[in-house]
Amino acid sequence: MISLQVQNNQSFRLDEIPFLDKHKFTDSVAEGLTNGYRMIGLFPLHKNMPHKIISALVDSDAASLHLIGGEFQKDKLEFESLANQFPQTNYFECELAENYGFIPINHPWIRPVRKQSTVLGNKPYQFYKLEGPEVHEVAVGPIHAGIIEPGHFRFQCHGELVYHLEINLGYQHRGIESLILDASTNQRVILSESIAGDTVVGHTFAHCSTIESLAGTQISLRAQVIRSIVEELERIAMHLSGLGGVANDIGLAIVASSYGRLRTLAINSLAEISGSRFGRGLFVYGGVRYDFNDENIRQITNKLEVVKNDSAVINNFLFSSTGALTRFEHTGTVSKDFAQQIGLVGVVARSSGIESDTRIHFPYGAYRYFPVSLITLPSGDVFARARLRALEIDESLRFIFEQLENLPGGEIKINVGSIAPCSGVISIVEGWRGEIVHTAITDEVGNIVQYKIKDPSFNNWYGMNLALRETAISDFPVINKSFDLSYAGHDL
Amino acid sequence: MIDAIKLRILQGDPIIHDVRNVSLPKLFRGLPTIERVACPDDCKKCVEACPTNAIKLNPVSIDLGLCVFCPLCEEACPEKIIHFTNDYHIAAESREKLIVTKETKTISAEKASKEIKNYFGRSLKLRQISAGGCNGCELELNALSNVNFDMGRYGIEFVASPRHADGVVITGPLTRNMTKAIEICYEAVPKPKIIVLVGTCSISGGIFQNSKEIQRNFLEENKIDLFIPGCPPHPLTFINGLLDWLDRK
Repeated sequence: MISLQVQNNQSFRLDEIPFLDKHKFTDSVAEGLTNGYRMIGLFPLHKNMPHKIISALVDSDAASLHLIGGEFQKDKLEFESLANQFPQTNYFECELAENYGFIPINHPWIRPVRKQSTVLGNKPYQFYKLEGPEVHEVAVGPIHAGIIEPGHFRFQCHGELVYHLEINLGYQHRGIESLILDASTNQRVILSESIAGDTVVGHTFAHCSTIESLAGTQISLRAQVIRSIVEELERIAMHLSGLGGVANDIGLAIVASSYGRLRTLAINSLAEISGSRFGRGLFVYGGVRYDFNDENIRQITNKLEVVKNDSAVINNFLFSSTGALTRFEHTGTVSKDFAQQIGLVGVVARSSGIESDTRIHFPYGAYRYFPVSLITLPSGDVFARARLRALEIDESLRFIFEQLENLPGGEIKINVGSIAPCSGVISIVEGWRGEIVHTAITDEVGNIVQYKIKDPSFNNWYGMNLALRETAISDFPVINKSFDLSYAGHDL
Repeated sequence: MIDAIKLRILQGDPIIHDVRNVSLPKLFRGLPTIERVACPDDCKKCVEACPTNAIKLNPVSIDLGLCVFCPLCEEACPEKIIHFTNDYHIAAESREKLIVTKETKTISAEKASKEIKNYFGRSLKLRQISAGGCNGCELELNALSNVNFDMGRYGIEFVASPRHADGVVITGPLTRNMTKAIEICYEAVPKPKIIVLVGTCSISGGIFQNSKEIQRNFLEENKIDLFIPGCPPHPLTFINGLLDWLDRK
């Protein structure tokens, strides 16, 4: 396999990447995937030069990233699709086709990613349709019943049973990747805070890491620890929100409202340190804006003690309730084998028994010195996805309490140097949903000419399609909530 | 059953009884104040720092409809005349009222017309539309129904069907891909109906104001009844804005 091997947050010169012709490129990518690597990106180096693309693969066993370059004829942007052999590349190829006009030859199923109704230029897209006596189609969205983001869902059903679900997204598309290229430094941070408003910390963490790596800046240990503490706070808050949602979708109101109460404490803790209940304003290039002091540590510790004690009681009630378990167990199952083939990440992957956690496999920042434990569950159903989130809350609380007691000294912010020209970097962060990947590429004068964002939802939406197969349509809400995916993060 | 009752007891009394006077964390960025001090000649540091062009000079003003409530202008000002307070009462019925100057002490929504008060004063059902909202505003609107804020006690609730609603609440910068859905949804709400814009993105486009992917004609064609600024707005900003507007105690 011909590739450039780098690590998480390690910047590289663009001329170090081997660029291969289209056959060697696909062979090399296929070889990596056969070795068990997972694709995290497939996009051109420069927005205006689509004929030179890179494929980024990760090898979790060796904590390394592999970059494989492919150079194509300018008037013939096509390559042999890998999606038949490696389904995990399917959606990446669809995205490349949609954004840059590539044609993946023999691709099994070209779908729109953000363009909604057209594929390959302007060809109208037809939803897959089940035909036969007594089959029917259910269409839901873009506007759903609750206060949630928009997306369109098509179910092909026979009676109550779902045979196929197709999810059409793109309603939230705001063009963030191109806005970042034209943005000022100040605007870039605000834009990354708004990629997915429920993952402010995760995305801003990844964005700041790309800039700091390109500038060769090493932030202080204290700033690294503060960043990780707020990342875990965000994880606790959103896991509590997700558990509340799952309980709500099975009609267990007392549990839903109890988790909701605890979530308020978790996000108010974020407000104590950043002024925003979502952690906005905390991240700056070179560190963090606000510091911990005795007062806010006391406030946050008191709130989190309540979260710790009360969540134990609520978890115990939820996970020993026969009514809840009947709805959770064997519902919306994704097997480990399937999850690996389609490249699921984060909470969803770990709930199907896959050992995948960026904090452990590609450690960054404070996690290199203060590790967290890997938690996985084997069953791949709603139960696993809910239970895993409860367990991760406990582990995040442990991490925060330990760090707050032993905060390292030092400055919280240092100056960031100038950005290296003709370079690139990939920064991976484990957001509360899973793997967040930000890639930045610079030109001769150090301007960012390509910025690629991959939210974990990009991988995981397809997992939900599969989880719904041969499941009662009435289980859709609880399965959907157990995946808890982002629309804005996918649509960008 | 006993365990469920125990859970309820554990819940305690988490509700915010007086939504008018809550002391938010010191760092919370709500209504900004601008001191009555003259700026140094040709200084435009705040304008340059602002990511969304919310600040105008001579005299200094901050447009809360454009502001994303980051602390950049406060940090950039050499005279330290800009200061974000933790006052969350910042909703208004007119776009102009959101422009904060040296004279601004408070912002509150003018009372709605008698007709509106008669119709919606004691019961207001709203349909939310997310049109490119990042899920920040959406989460805060969801929080309005939790046990802490419990907006239902004022007769204000979110409903699933636009047919059951008295108005729409829009979040997000209004993406092009949502244009049709917004029109269909608004059309389905029976008259009389109101429009509430929540969050800086929906009020002005915010950080996305220059995006080619947004389409804001709907807002020009229809009258907006209430603006709730913030990024995202605090749930208390939303509740107080509506209570002021509906002239509730």
